[in-house]
Order: sequence, then C-alpha cells, then structure tokens
Amino acid sequence: MLKLFGAVLVVLAGTLAGFQRARQYADRPRNIRSLIAALQRLETEIMYGFTPLPEALRRIGQQCKEPLRALFVQAAEEMSPPHDRSAEEAFGRAMEAHWKAAALKGAEKEVIRQLSCTLGTSDRSNQSNHIALALQQLKQEETAAREDQGKYETMSKSLGLLLGALIVILIF
Amino acid sequence: MANDWLHLFPEKVRMLLKSLPLQLLSAVEEIRVREGRPLEINYSGKYHFLSADGRLTQKPEEAYRPDREDSHRLLDLISNHSLYTMEEELRKGFITIPGGHRIGLAGRTVLSGGGVEHLRDITGFNVRIAREVPGVADSVLPYLLDKGRLRVLHTLILSPPQHGKTTLLRDLARQISGGSQNRQGGSRQGLKVGIVDERSEIAGSRRGIPAFDVGPRTDILDGCPKAEGMMMMIRSLSPDVIIADEIGRPEDADAVTEALHAGITVVASAHGKEVAELARRPGLGSLLEHRMFERYVILHRSEAGLSFRVLDSQKRALLPGAPGERTGGERHA
Repeated sequence: MLKLFGAVLVVLAGTLAGFQRARQYADRPRNIRSLIAALQRLETEIMYGFTPLPEALRRIGQQCKEPLRALFVQAAEEMSPPHDRSAEEAFGRAMEAHWKAAALKGAEKEVIRQLSCTLGTSDRSNQSNHIALALQQLKQEETAAREDQGKYETMSKSLGLLLGALIVILIF
Repeated sequence: MANDWLHLFPEKVRMLLKSLPLQLLSAVEEIRVREGRPLEINYSGKYHFLSADGRLTQKPEEAYRPDREDSHRLLDLISNHSLYTMEEELRKGFITIPGGHRIGLAGRTVLSGGGVEHLRDITGFNVRIAREVPGVADSVLPYLLDKGRLRVLHTLILSPPQHGKTTLLRDLARQISGGSQNRQGGSRQGLKVGIVDERSEIAGSRRGIPAFDVGPRTDILDGCPKAEGMMMMIRSLSPDVIIADEIGRPEDADAVTEALHAGITVVASAHGKEVAELARRPGLGSLLEHRMFERYVILHRSEAGLSFRVLDSQKRALLPGAPGERTGGERHA
C-alpha cells in the first residue's frame, strides 16, 4: 500500500516537473513580447514625450504586468534620488533582483544590459537607433523562443509523466 | 534649499566639497570640473584648486583631477540620466537645473549645415551656483522709481559676467512686484511683473513654479526666447514691468522697443562694462542712440563687495558708488 502511494507520488512529481518546464517554454515568448512592447513604449516616451528616463521607466513599469513591472519600477527607483544610479547600474540591480521571476534567458538579459549602457547618454536619434537594435534582437529571440515552444512544450509535459513512470518501473 | 546643488556631483567630488567648511561652501560661486585637470572652485572673485584630501590650494599639481568616470557621472546626474531631453540645451552650451543653477558645458561640437547641432565628448563643466540675496537691490531701487508717477523707469543693468546681474534682477523683480510699506513714511504699490526667463536663471523654475522668491505679482515665461517672450507678455499677460536677462541680439532690441512703445517698463541686463562700449554693439546700439533707457546701472564687484553706479539717460551719474560704499555682498545661503 505504502509502495503504491510512493509510486503515485513519484509519477505526480514527474508530471508536475514536466508541466513546470512546459510552462517556461510557453511563458518565454510571451515575456519577450511584453519586453518588446515595453521598449516600444520607451522609444515613444523618448522620441515624442521627451520624458526623463526615470519617469519614463516608471510609467512603462506601471503599464506592464509582472514580472516586468517590478523590473522597470525598480530600475526607475534606482535612478531617482537618493540613489541616483546610472541607467546601466540601475538595470543591473533590477535585473539581479527580478530576472529570475521572468521566464527569460541570458540572451534577452544581454540585450537589455547592452541597451542600458547607452540609455539616456545620447541624443534622441541615437537613442532610437539603439532601441531599434535591441528590438530587432529581441524579435529574433522571440522567434527562436516560439520555435522552442512548438518543439518542446508538449514534449516536456509527456516527458515528465514518462520520466516519473520510468523511475517507478526501475524502483519496483 | 541650502546647498541643494551638492547632490549633482558624483560621489568623490561631492565628498571633497562636503569636507569644505560650511561657511565657504555657502559662498561658492562656481565649481569647474574639467576632466583630467584640476578641480577648481571660485568664490568672492578668487579661484582655488581643491586637493584630493579636501584642502584649498593654489598649486594645480596638488589638486584633485576628476577622471572620465567623474565627468560621465556628472553629465548623467545633471541631465537626469536623460541627455536626449537636453538637445536644445546642448546646442546652446548650457543646462539650467532646478534651483536655477546653470551649468556651462565644453566639449566637441558636432556641426550640421554650418551650425552647432550637438555637443559631444563633454568634458568641461562650469557649475554656477544661483543664490538669492534678498535686499541686494535696496540701494538701487529708489533710483529706478519715478516717484511721481508710481512707475519703474526703463533700466539697463550692465556688468561683466559673474558680477551679480541676475541676482540683482531677481531681487528687483521681488521688490517691484511686492511693493513696499512704511519706508520713509510712504507705501508703494506692487506692480505686475513679467519675467522672460530664457535660461531659467532668474526664477529657477521647476515645472513652472519659481524656486526663488520673485514676488507675489510676478508671471514667469520659463525657457522662452526673450524677443518672442516679451511680445507674448505684452499681448497676453499685461505686465507693468518686463524683466529680461542678457539682452543683446537685434531681435531683442526690437522687442524692447516694442515694449517701451506699448507703455511697459523694461528692466533688462546686458554684458558690458561701460555704456559707451555697449553703444558699439550692433543690437543694442540703436536702443542707446534713441535713449530708450532712462537708467543705467553698472555693477562692479570687487573683494570689498558689490558696488553700483547709476546713470540717467544722458549718462550722467546719479549714484557714484565707490567700492565698498554699499555692499550687497552679505551672502545668505
């Protein structure tokens, strides 16, 4: 009886792990999409609103959903007094704190990090170029992430269940 | 409000400045940051370098030299991390930050169509600290009033840079707008004052609200080009007195003429040492020729303090202020 209960537990754990994994594949393109939308809004704020960076980031953060919301709002906080950190530093700290919560990977992190080095340090046309470049890179990542989703999402789900079953068979 | 400009500076420089005696700190007029070269501070007309251990020195080799990091940080802080909002300012070569402090910039210019389009590689900063000195206009104001008709005379304030033109204008605005009571038995009504504050220095406005006391009946057109601003004022704000800083271009002269003919008093300032010198300048020459201004105030600041000379429209002296006779030099932080 106890054995059976244990076996069910193992299969359940395997299935949940598989679903978790699958959710990450599904979330990543969605998160990249919101990141793209956020950067597009940032471009508008810079090009047409002349909004200072901390305020622009705060506004964008408030329009985003979690986990990007926390990311942008913290970056804005870090850039405002009394911290007054540079954009690069502020994003570095915000990403440190909130990146894990998002289903994003190193490639997107690098894009944002590179963008943060130039944010606010040049004139508008230059800012626009940098944001456009970041957007392009993110779009590529999004395509790749969608392909991954198609390939691996359902597979992860069944793999989790099967892995659980395999363990159970091996142990018995 | 006191020393609110300290937070502008990057950590290292801020620490050095903070280590200065408070009294000295509240008298600082200019802080000059040049990348790779000695950090300089100016006060009461003298210059000093600041050493890495926070001492004042005259020897450049002992001085602290701000590095690339410092100048980047400083630019980042004064632009509120958003250089792209400062394109117009960069073209003009200075940024005015909330509080009315003006930061002159030096770097490499980028030209487009023969005009300066942008400033890049900014490595030189001249931070001019704006201060309110209430009462600095006390001794001048009586000479600028036409007591009988209760109005202010058309006035041009002259001095080389850094002698306190803007400080005087600010106090004049406050006093003209506020009026005065019980001085020598009479009371003077406040007048409607319009300030065309092209460089945001007179009122130090932040989001349209003046940081300095410029009087209760004062309207401010912040960041507005002077010539255009004066016309806008005349048309829409019905001021009794228009105050403008650093007039000099021909279109400024036209706008001043327009205002004078509209029956509005103009109190303006210009760079220069003598009235005669000014008459040779293309823009202002015609104004002087037609005796548009009824009073000229010539400022001179020496170690003894601020002194004034007031001339009438015929350039006859009304107030021969010897240096030190009336010092407006008591500084309030």
